[in-house]
Amino acid sequence: MLEIRDLHVHYGLSHVLQGVSLSVEAGEVVGLFGRNGVGKTTVMKTVAGWVVPTSGSIRFDGAAIEGLPSDRICRMGLGMVPEDRRIFPGFTVEENLKLGFLQCLRRSKAESKRALEQAYVRFPLLKERRKQIGVTLSGGEQQMLAIARVLVGMPRLLLIDEPTEGLAPMIVDEIFSTITSLRDEGIPILLVEQKVFRALDVSNRFYALERGQIVAQGEASSGRDRDALLNAVAF
Amino acid sequence: MGGAVDYIQFVFMPQVFNGLTIGVAVILMALGLTIIFGLLDVINMAHGEFYALGAYLGITLASHGVGFWLLLIAVPLVLLPLGYGSDRLLIQRVFHQKDRHMLTLLLTFGLAIIMEDMFKLAYGPNTIRPETPISGGTELFGNFFPSYRLFLMVFGTVTIAAVWLVVHRTRYGSMVRAAAFDKHMASSLGVPVGKVYSATFAFGVALAGLSGVLLAPIYSVFPTMGKDFILMAFAVVIVGGLGNIKGVVFAGLLLTQVQAISSLYISPVWADPLVFAIMVLVLMVRPQGILGGKLGHA
Repeated sequence: MLEIRDLHVHYGLSHVLQGVSLSVEAGEVVGLFGRNGVGKTTVMKTVAGWVVPTSGSIRFDGAAIEGLPSDRICRMGLGMVPEDRRIFPGFTVEENLKLGFLQCLRRSKAESKRALEQAYVRFPLLKERRKQIGVTLSGGEQQMLAIARVLVGMPRLLLIDEPTEGLAPMIVDEIFSTITSLRDEGIPILLVEQKVFRALDVSNRFYALERGQIVAQGEASSGRDRDALLNAVAF
Repeated sequence: MGGAVDYIQFVFMPQVFNGLTIGVAVILMALGLTIIFGLLDVINMAHGEFYALGAYLGITLASHGVGFWLLLIAVPLVLLPLGYGSDRLLIQRVFHQKDRHMLTLLLTFGLAIIMEDMFKLAYGPNTIRPETPISGGTELFGNFFPSYRLFLMVFGTVTIAAVWLVVHRTRYGSMVRAAAFDKHMASSLGVPVGKVYSATFAFGVALAGLSGVLLAPIYSVFPTMGKDFILMAFAVVIVGGLGNIKGVVFAGLLLTQVQAISSLYISPVWADPLVFAIMVLVLMVRPQGILGGKLGHA
């Protein structure tokens, strides 16, 4: 579904991504691992259209999306849950969610309302707090809000960047079970995560990134592939 | 004792009232400036010329028989596409380059110079004084106030409230605030950020044009009218906090009152320096403005 080929990205003089190729197929969670600063977030930002690549191709459902504006990319069904959640200040929980409606043009009000109700069923806590200002939620609740905000746009593939960073262990469990249930519902996910072992448990496949290049890849269930991953990224 | 009451009623109050009229007009002008800055991070040096354009457009339309009340709608409506086009065709061209602050500043400054010369070419250098649409006065608290100024105050206040509602209670407003805070995230949720930028520039410019129509009967219309007025609007925007709507209202009232009341006690020539001294003081002590906080930052 998502096919990245030989992607190069420069920030000024620094060559951040040096020929990254990876793919995400229907129905799978793909982990993208590596130490801080190796370019994982840059991969996500480039796919979402926040960063324009120097060269290489990104195809989503067969259509070339590299260099397109983010609003067009998200309307094709590619949802972005970024690092640091990026909840809008001054907006209530529900207002944050309603911004997500814009991902779908020409959707009836009734359909949007149903999408909102579905998000509330998935995260009942957000329904309780829907009148609260989003940035006053706890870190875990904000993460749920960031995921829900994208889900109300009915994405067909999700990019989720470091969803459990800085969260309490109990909330971490909850986020991982959300990821599992999304996968079971058939939404493929490209997942960047520092908690490699936890992430491998919910992933089908993985890639390891080191200094802007893919240095290992494999099946999450294969012991040998896992060893290769751990050697590659030296955790 | 009677002297003091008379002083308050016949000297002090009219001056406060005059300050309020000017204050409301300055706020309208500064609102456009601050919204454009808050969202686009662009300081629109041509804002004063769009204000003048509003006044001149009003004169042209009026000479074709358009009544004053219709002008209040027609002029902003004409300015909307002009503002949208200016952003699309000029500002967005340089907006994505690295030194965009300098480039947009120079670009809008150049636009201001061109517009001012066009006013001179089209309308001549002389001052034009449109007829006051509402003549006569109204008695209020034992004082006699020009009716047009009363109208200006009420109409301006309603418009300011409407702008607040647009920014805080509409879908367009939520797109503006979201894009102002985080353009990448907003865009990834489907906000067409480029169009929102241009629409907001158009909205701000239309507000400037509206103040031009409103103030023309009081201040007259001349090619450099924008320059004189924009300085006050800049002071208001800076004192209120760049990009802050409430700050603009607060600072607009404060500075115009300082200007009005101080002219009772010192030579009016010194009233403006006093206002700008406050601006400099705020920049030194509280550079983020009295109320601080940009648009979209809660």
